[in-house]
Amino acid sequence: MGLLFCFLGAISFGLLGSALKAAERKKANAAGLVVAAYAWPALIMLVRTLLLKSGSHVPPKVFAIAVIFGICAAVASLAFQVSISIGKVTVGWLMMNLSAGVPVVVSIWMYHEKLTILKVVAFGLVLVSILFLSWGQMMEKRATGAATKGE
Amino acid sequence: MWFLLMLVILLTNGMSAFGLKMIAGWGLPETVKYPYLTAWYAGGLAAIALPMLLKGMRVGKTEIFWGAVTGALSIGGQIAMAVALGSGVPGHVVFPIAIGGSIFVVALAGRLVFGERMNPPTVVGVALGFIAVVLLGVS
Repeated sequence: MGLLFCFLGAISFGLLGSALKAAERKKANAAGLVVAAYAWPALIMLVRTLLLKSGSHVPPKVFAIAVIFGICAAVASLAFQVSISIGKVTVGWLMMNLSAGVPVVVSIWMYHEKLTILKVVAFGLVLVSILFLSWGQMMEKRATGAATKGE
Repeated sequence: MWFLLMLVILLTNGMSAFGLKMIAGWGLPETVKYPYLTAWYAGGLAAIALPMLLKGMRVGKTEIFWGAVTGALSIGGQIAMAVALGSGVPGHVVFPIAIGGSIFVVALAGRLVFGERMNPPTVVGVALGFIAVVLLGVS
């Protein structure tokens, strides 16, 4: 049963990436889409916070890092939405997921987490993958340029 | 432009979830995550909405519709993962399947629905990236 929900999660997130591409095809404004996508969860989380029992003190540093990382997320969403109008949705989505390697690196540096062989192999593959994706993008750009010149 | 966007995605999206790890490291109560997430979404919202307002841009019906669709799918994915984790499936199984599977679904939709063709280096890059994401999820 648990595994079924793993696959449902995969389908749901996959459809999310596809819906963002569909929105781009429908000429949805990238910034407007990010605003709309952030407004609903912001409201839901605000209601959930207000329903918390009073008395629990939240240190200001929590709000400070929340705002900083929230801005990071919104910038990433905007960059993704713009990128799929000039590149492939699969590559953009893959890059969003490859970014999971960044906090792993920061955790190793900040929290002295163990660098396992599996992590080293994963980081190596991330780098090689990015090189191939960049090569593919350059080839596509050249092909598009040649096709434009030929017209 | 494309390379810059990819770099921005890699760095900003990667760091966006790091705050929860910092909070966990500070040993604060579990309930702190709600005000944290409120400020997280509000910060992101303001970062994009304020420049839009200054430019006199508005959020139209198309954006509201697709924003709601993507929001629902995001929540659906999160709930499915939470249920899977809650039913005893370990994280090193849940994350690779959910994240790796989503790349497979997007690749399939990219080809079949949006007619995107990938050249050989891009196919190799996507395949290696897919393996890397699964390995990161396992580790």
